[in-house]
Amino acid sequence: MKTLLIKTHEAWLEMLTAAFMSRTESKQILFDFSDILFRHFTWIEHELIRTGEAYDYDRGIIPVKVTRLNDILKVTVSRLLEIDLQLLGTEDRDLAARISADITYMVDVLQKLNDEVVTAFNMERKLPGTELTEEATDALTLFLFDESYKEYELIMIYNYLKAHSNDAFLNRIFQILIDESFFHLKSFGEMMAKMGILAVPRVVMKELYEVDDVVQFLKDGIEEELAAKEECKRLSDAVGNDSEMLSKFFDFINHQENYHIALMKDALAHFQKVNNG
Amino acid sequence: MDVMLIEHMMNPKNYGTLSSANAEGMGKNPQNGEKVVVYIHVKEDEVKPYIDEITFQAIGCTTTIVAGSMLTEEAKGLTLDGAKNLVAATMQLLDKLPPEDAACSEMVALAIKAAVDTYEKRKEEEDYPPITYQVTNDCTPKEESVDENTAD
Repeated sequence: MKTLLIKTHEAWLEMLTAAFMSRTESKQILFDFSDILFRHFTWIEHELIRTGEAYDYDRGIIPVKVTRLNDILKVTVSRLLEIDLQLLGTEDRDLAARISADITYMVDVLQKLNDEVVTAFNMERKLPGTELTEEATDALTLFLFDESYKEYELIMIYNYLKAHSNDAFLNRIFQILIDESFFHLKSFGEMMAKMGILAVPRVVMKELYEVDDVVQFLKDGIEEELAAKEECKRLSDAVGNDSEMLSKFFDFINHQENYHIALMKDALAHFQKVNNG
Repeated sequence: MDVMLIEHMMNPKNYGTLSSANAEGMGKNPQNGEKVVVYIHVKEDEVKPYIDEITFQAIGCTTTIVAGSMLTEEAKGLTLDGAKNLVAATMQLLDKLPPEDAACSEMVALAIKAAVDTYEKRKEEEDYPPITYQVTNDCTPKEESVDENTAD
């Protein structure tokens, strides 16, 4: 099961990256499939927790640099078929059947998608319709690498916390934060693909998601969200003269952080209330 | 920003843990909680032992990842003395970097030094715990420090 979790984790990220690469109607299909694979990941994780098998979020390197979409889709299909084979040894037959049926459908669709030229790795660092100065381009580049990783990290942390909690109130908050981080990750990934600097986020260190002190984690998280707000404001100012559209986008992301902070404060108050009797 | 830097951002070299590691060490920034862990495998059946495998993991920003990617590439294949020279050379360059970049590079260099020192300690004491070194560079950009100091 642990191998199944790792392979599904890799397939999810590979599918998500393929979605960023696509410039056609295939994009939405690939996004939907990556969402399905993330759900498989959570099902497998719950099975590991149920059976008491130790696991973590480590995974291998996922090479995604291609010039044609079909090149990555072929690799993804092979990964999915490998997962399907692994499912034969899964104890929970209902779970295996559910995942296997999804894989059969996804493989069929993936094999029929049209090929496309991929420009997501050309390093040109130009956003279509936007002229940025070199300084603004560098600031945006660093921001996208920092924040795309950060959003992936948050998805993994909140997912881990949710998987290990039976508190409905907290889990509702964790799920909203996961959804919000997915939206941000998708927004930043799209921008990275357009700029030719697409990359898979690096592996998250275990100590970040195996949280011992939830109160401290939430307090630190609120501070980090405040810092992220500042970062968005700085970036909005840096690109403001060159692109009103980009400036508005980063102001929008900045304002969304207020909601995250409010949710984390709610989670903190609830956690403290429950644990103080 | 040159293409080589962007390449390190897109595909950091040597990122991850190392199951065959015979030593690890940590560089830490107490100011912001960022840290870098370096894992090394030193090949011992040679006249001069050398680092034949090296990886790193980080809780840090993209600059730290780029520094980790570049410095671990440099350290690969070096003898222990060679790795110490690399660390010393990196430390001498820190003054020329912006403060936030200096703190990131120092953290990686210190993690390499910590891993090498841990390895040497383990030659005498097998279970010697991983060594941690803390950075001395302030990673706050200068203009922010000025703002803070001049604020009412």
